[in-house]
Amino acid sequence: MTCDELRPDYLPFALGVLEEPERSELRSHLDRGCETCAAGLREALAWEFAMGAAVEGPEPPRELRSRILAVAQGRPERRWNWFAAGLSAAAVAAAAVILIVYQAAGSRSGAEAAALREALDLIQAPETREVTFGQGQPTPPRGRVFFRPSGVLLIASHLPPPPTGKTYEMWIIRGGKPAPAGLFRSDAQGDAIHLYRPVTPPTENDTVAVTMEAAGGVTAPTSTPVIVAPL
Amino acid sequence: MLLLILAALAKDESGLLVRLRRRDPQALADLYDSYGAIVFRLILRMVRDTGTAEDLVQETFLRVWNRAAGFDAERGAVGPWLLAVARNRAIDHLRYRGRRPESNIDLNETEHPALFADLRTQPHYFELTRHVSRALAQLAPPQREAIELAYFEGMSQTEIAARLDQPLGTVKTWMRRALQQMREALGGAA
Repeated sequence: MTCDELRPDYLPFALGVLEEPERSELRSHLDRGCETCAAGLREALAWEFAMGAAVEGPEPPRELRSRILAVAQGRPERRWNWFAAGLSAAAVAAAAVILIVYQAAGSRSGAEAAALREALDLIQAPETREVTFGQGQPTPPRGRVFFRPSGVLLIASHLPPPPTGKTYEMWIIRGGKPAPAGLFRSDAQGDAIHLYRPVTPPTENDTVAVTMEAAGGVTAPTSTPVIVAPL
Repeated sequence: MLLLILAALAKDESGLLVRLRRRDPQALADLYDSYGAIVFRLILRMVRDTGTAEDLVQETFLRVWNRAAGFDAERGAVGPWLLAVARNRAIDHLRYRGRRPESNIDLNETEHPALFADLRTQPHYFELTRHVSRALAQLAPPQREAIELAYFEGMSQTEIAARLDQPLGTVKTWMRRALQQMREALGGAA
């Protein structure tokens, strides 16, 4: 076959859908170094690329990037599937809570949505550790604290909405000294999610505590903690 | 969005390919930052399932990571190669899932790195991406459908002819005209 006869086959070949005998014919031209067919194929390959690059749709999950890099470097794979990742049922439930909030984030500010994505990332991170609080206690609240060097995530339930003029304040207690770790409120169902980015990485000798304080927060706790979670 | 894609594609890839061949992990991260979203959207468009798309995106990047040594860093265009690998992974999945009979076409041939040598010298390499949506929209519906069945589902011309209940020769004519019309549309837009 001549190059002119093969011209209609450049695009099907580039798309991988050209059938025999045309495919072998075109392949033989390319193998012979036929510049006419090579140029035609380059144009078709450019179209193939452009069609793919022009597809619109959602962004990939942020976690996918770290998952691919981890596998490429031979580290254990951390899947978006939390159970497959070996996370506890409670962690899965906690992540589900965040996801529910996150999926409603369309009406939230960009900063809030970013914080929720960061919370999800923190739960998924290989180095993240978790502790529970409130389990076995006669009265709630109950929940979990996830922490790694760059973040501390508190997820609590049965936390009564604070009265007017009051708010919850989290503390990182180190060496007996509490340091402010951000303000937050619980919702009408008593659920609360609070992400704190510490200047100094938390350690296993620290304790996370929560007190109810005046709106605007204070520099040292003034009430009995409602949550105490040794890390 | 398209401008962002173009900006990402405009990066000089030769250094990136050199680092990929050295198996520099940061090179893989850079490659993902440039093309991860494009690859994900393409695969999702084809398989229509987020979880499956994530798995296939991972397969795509790892395949490129493991085969970068065979790529000519001085001549190759990594973006087109990456998308060809991505598309082939998705087509393999569609075939494996049994939506339709197994094809006798070897997709691996279309992702051989040598095919993408010198593609960066293609005059309208970036212009193509900018105008491809409009060019496709200008195609007659049967031509566009034939192209989309070939591209997004990996159907051979015989399979397309059967799907559309048209003679094989008609489908071949459509595809030939489609490429010609896209070329003309680009010429008018550039």
